[in-house]
Amino acid sequence: MAEQNEVFQNSFIRPVIRIGIITLLIAWVGNFLPCLYIYFRYGIFPPWETILKIWVMVASVYGAFYIVEPISYYAILGLSGTYMSFLAGNISNLRLPCSAMAQEATGVEPGSQEAEVISTLGIAGSVIVNTIGVTLTAILGVTLLTVFPPFVKKAFAYILPAVFGAVFAQFAIKYPVVGLMAIPIPLILLGWVKILPVWVVIPACVFGTVALARLYYQLRLKGER
Amino acid sequence: MNPELLKIINSFGLWVVALIMVSIVFIQAGLFMRQALKAATAIHMPREKCMKGLRAGMITAVGPSIAIVIIMIGMMAVVGAPMTWMRLSIIGAAPTELTAATLGAKAVGVDFGSPQYDLYAFAASNWGMALNDFGWLFITALFATRLESVRKKVGGGNPAWLALLTGAAAIGAFAYLMSGNLLAGGPKAIGVIAGGISMILFLQLAKRYPALKEYTLGLAMVVGMFIAAFFAK
Repeated sequence: MAEQNEVFQNSFIRPVIRIGIITLLIAWVGNFLPCLYIYFRYGIFPPWETILKIWVMVASVYGAFYIVEPISYYAILGLSGTYMSFLAGNISNLRLPCSAMAQEATGVEPGSQEAEVISTLGIAGSVIVNTIGVTLTAILGVTLLTVFPPFVKKAFAYILPAVFGAVFAQFAIKYPVVGLMAIPIPLILLGWVKILPVWVVIPACVFGTVALARLYYQLRLKGER
Repeated sequence: MNPELLKIINSFGLWVVALIMVSIVFIQAGLFMRQALKAATAIHMPREKCMKGLRAGMITAVGPSIAIVIIMIGMMAVVGAPMTWMRLSIIGAAPTELTAATLGAKAVGVDFGSPQYDLYAFAASNWGMALNDFGWLFITALFATRLESVRKKVGGGNPAWLALLTGAAAIGAFAYLMSGNLLAGGPKAIGVIAGGISMILFLQLAKRYPALKEYTLGLAMVVGMFIAAFFAK
């Protein structure tokens, strides 16, 4: 087991950290390239006070999510999945479902080394598909959409609720007790308490469910003894 | 929008800039994929299993990707094709990017998409989107390894508990994601329930026809979506 861990550490974890950090550092620069291009090409660079003002405005809306999302989704995405997901985005609608489906289809034990490898492949596959889709649309524009009849286009407005319900069901039939314990948390927080910001509700749901699962796990262990 | 600005936001230079960022995303996925295949060999995982996982991810991505493409058209009209291409290829979904672009323009006193929206406001919108996306890129680059050590500590090297921990985290996350739609009622709530029920049915069916397994989620989401749309009228 220890030897197996050493092999995995060298063949996967270490290279993943290197690839992840290097690509993200390059992305830090790439992310600001449009601003730099507009400066060098058209001579427009807002004064630093303005940039600071913009930063305060966006961070006051989204700042908490920068921290809460990587933490909340880490246990599901794993290390390589986190590096890919927080570069390529679309976490709840693409990365999490695709990782889950890849693991389901191959029947790997969640949280294991095999699961980590398969989840990486599933997420990488989803990045490739959605990058190709977005690229084709950017180039072809509206013409691409004429292939879909109007009612199909309208139907896609409802794909998200269906994705969320389906992934929940996929996990909940494996752990029905945990599923039943999890549902009331967001329903109470969003439907009854109502005053908590979303960036509190997400970790409350994830870690609340993990805590309840821990309790359930220990009770079951006790029952077996 | 004045024709001059329209030309600039769709100019060749911005396409090149966008191409660089999109390439980073694509190359990163390729590098991780290669590393995963290498690691699979090292821990003696069969290649077919890996290909199955990769395929399952790609199939499942088709439906949500079409939904992204449909939203994309609206964003292209206001920030141009190249910046839409770049921003929707990286972190920050369309509503997030549009909010950041709006806030940027607001900081320089211009309404996003109004006749006053000029090159200066477009620059400010770009700063808004860049500063916002940087938040996630920054935190992830710095702290992902720390999260891994926390997971190891909490998992405690106990495979049964680690599996349950991962499952519980997913159940909690998706309970949150679906509850907003459940509370909204109407077709959205129907979408959640129809998606969930069809997933269970497809998974049962896949027990008899294992080849179906990697399609289950992709199928369930499309079935759920059409059932919801049917009740939307």
